[in-house]
Amino acid sequence: MRKRWIGYAVWLGLAACLYFFENNTGTRTVLLCSLLFPLLPHPRKAFFTADERKKPEEAPAPLTVRSFAAREADDPGDVRPYQPGDPIRRIHWKLSAKKDELLVRETIKEPESVQEERCVSQPVSAQKKKARFPWLLICVTAFCLALLLLLPEARRGAQALCNRVFAASEQVNAYAYDYFPVPENQSVLLAAILAGCSAAALLALLLRGRLSALAVMAGCTFFQVYFGLSFPAWANVILYGLLGLRMMKRPIKRRNLLSCIAILLAVFLAGTLLLPDVDAATEAVSETVRDELSRVAQQITGGMSELPEGDTETRHIHPLSLQTGDSEAQNDREYRLVTVEEEQISMPRFINWLKMILLFLLLVALIVLPFTPFLLLNARKKKAEEARRAFASRDVSEAVRAIFSYVLLWLRETGRDAGNLLYRDWADKLPEDLPEGYRARFAKCAEDYEEAFYSHHALPEEKRQRALELLKETEAALWSAADWKQHLRIRYWMCLCE
Amino acid sequence: MRPQLECVVREVEKAIVGKRPVIERILTVMLAEGHVLLDDVPGVGKTTLAVAISRAIGLAFQRVQFTPDVLPSDLVGFSMYEKASGEWLYRPGALNSANLILGDEINRASSKTQSALLEAMEERQITVDGKTYPLQTPFLVIATENSVGTAGTQLLPYAQLDRFLVKLSLGYPDYEAQMTMLRGRQTADPLETVARVTGRDELLAMQREVRAVTVRDAVLDYITRLTFASREHPAVEVGVSPRGALFLCRTAKAKAYLEGRDYVTGGDVQDVLTDVCRHRLLLKENVRETTVAQVLDELLKKVENPDRRGLFTGMKKP
Repeated sequence: MRKRWIGYAVWLGLAACLYFFENNTGTRTVLLCSLLFPLLPHPRKAFFTADERKKPEEAPAPLTVRSFAAREADDPGDVRPYQPGDPIRRIHWKLSAKKDELLVRETIKEPESVQEERCVSQPVSAQKKKARFPWLLICVTAFCLALLLLLPEARRGAQALCNRVFAASEQVNAYAYDYFPVPENQSVLLAAILAGCSAAALLALLLRGRLSALAVMAGCTFFQVYFGLSFPAWANVILYGLLGLRMMKRPIKRRNLLSCIAILLAVFLAGTLLLPDVDAATEAVSETVRDELSRVAQQITGGMSELPEGDTETRHIHPLSLQTGDSEAQNDREYRLVTVEEEQISMPRFINWLKMILLFLLLVALIVLPFTPFLLLNARKKKAEEARRAFASRDVSEAVRAIFSYVLLWLRETGRDAGNLLYRDWADKLPEDLPEGYRARFAKCAEDYEEAFYSHHALPEEKRQRALELLKETEAALWSAADWKQHLRIRYWMCLCE
Repeated sequence: MRPQLECVVREVEKAIVGKRPVIERILTVMLAEGHVLLDDVPGVGKTTLAVAISRAIGLAFQRVQFTPDVLPSDLVGFSMYEKASGEWLYRPGALNSANLILGDEINRASSKTQSALLEAMEERQITVDGKTYPLQTPFLVIATENSVGTAGTQLLPYAQLDRFLVKLSLGYPDYEAQMTMLRGRQTADPLETVARVTGRDELLAMQREVRAVTVRDAVLDYITRLTFASREHPAVEVGVSPRGALFLCRTAKAKAYLEGRDYVTGGDVQDVLTDVCRHRLLLKENVRETTVAQVLDELLKKVENPDRRGLFTGMKKP
């Protein structure tokens, strides 16, 4: 519950941020919608009522006669005076005795015991599978972004894309950008595909949870604020409305979705049609807030005069900004970036810090990632060597355990795991493709293993030999039966072979 | 299986055909120094079984048919004033001289009598008029309970059920077994042919050996996880008590001994789990379609067995 409030507050903050940076009808409506959101019927229910999920966990008290009667007395429900013709069964005797007049129950309450039946156990494995999926998506996103940065062709494409965004931004704002030095006819296809892929992965992520929805919201707000290039109002309304819906825990039903969209659109239309002249008033407020923000930002990044290398392309200098004291320019509302100080308003410098940190993290990840498999492999190899050393241990029982565990690892890694069964019962579950008499030998060794594992006996040397033979047989049989993927797995990942 | 016990089982099988698993389980309980509760319909051979076992081992046998007017003094004895000598003389009851007691229809006895029996079972001694008399060793009670016709009976409370090591049920014999039984009873009583193959002292010695059976921590860990899981199971109101865990361990030891091993494996625990825990689980009232057997099955499936745990969580000695 508290988390949802925080989530909502962040969302509201983002909307307000967007509004103050880019004041137009769209952002205004978004803010309005965000404010109104908790008042809408469906979101309110889903968003702000207490978590229903927690309730059933408290074990419902068994409904006995006494507790039922006690509840009746506490909460008599709807009662009314007796009228001739009411069935006698409905008379609330206890209350009638108290009040000294005949009272009749309006509705007969059903005992709730029928609804308390719940399934005893739920499959857990399905959840596990689900949990892996977001990681895949994150990997895809990271991979696409990495390619976007590393491939020269893609990078040039991305720069060209950026140039287009700059151009679009310049058309609606007073910004001036340093364009990337990219040829005019540079193809943006590859960059667009990569960016599209990462965006798609991000969107898929978005479909999975509230936090990611919030993240995407933040991303959209950042984009709009940074480039001063806000989407059309209707797009913003739909985007933020959908993201807001996504942030609700409850499964979204179509009816809810449609009604929410309808209400949001109604609010939007009302905002644009009924209040057309709020621009001027709110713009002034917006301006002051921008000034405040920029001052704060400058205090934070005051010491940083030089922009970091590689980031110069997004610095924007408007020609008018150099002519300080030009009264015309100062009065002109179109050109807000007049003084040098105000140059930083629309693009606070801490954003550059943020970019640097992100870039650094990405670089670290890119440097470390290729080596991790080898590091892991090395650790595995060392572990396997240690385990093999135990085969020749002086303590036969330890050796038998180590050898038998290797046999089981072989079986497990080639998909012959019999699950949570005792090893003496594994023999019956082994598949048919193993050689003749293997099961009997396996059962024999399983007995040896049990003795080694559960007793303090000193085992005879022949049991070690027997286990070793079983291991050899297992290796031979399973290696010949495995396909190339399993070979790879056995040899390099599990280090089962020497 | 140990040859000595194998002989006993074979002798008992002469009298009661086709019930080898039950006989083995009762022997396990004897070795574990526990008591048995047999829950079954009348006429499936509960008394025959008890008599045959007492004959094969050479134990003193006593049978008590419980009715509502059986009194505690019938079981534990009472003191009587002897006019000639002017002294109070102790007259022993049914429990005093027997190694093996068959308490028929224990749920028909008054709760007073039930508790007298249960106390004797637990303490292995009886106290009458301030004097304490030790009971015979070994001391085993086989109590029976009819699962039909329970009208007008005193059901054993849950707390007292907990004192029985296992709850078993004989069940009807299959076709072959019943035919053999009918044929065998034509001329002679097969109970007469049951010979004594071992003695009381041997049984006591075996019980001592059972106590010395090795139980590794892996097994204790398994028992603990099983009982904890039983308490946390969503369908269970009251799970297996610590005493239940103790009994589980003891029975597993006896089982291992019966199999001829001197160490307990995870399999032993699994084998005895159902018998030991069947009457120790109390299911929630609103769970209708789950039975205790299902819950125990689920536990066995869900709780990682010690074989697997010992192996995949590291190859070091546990």
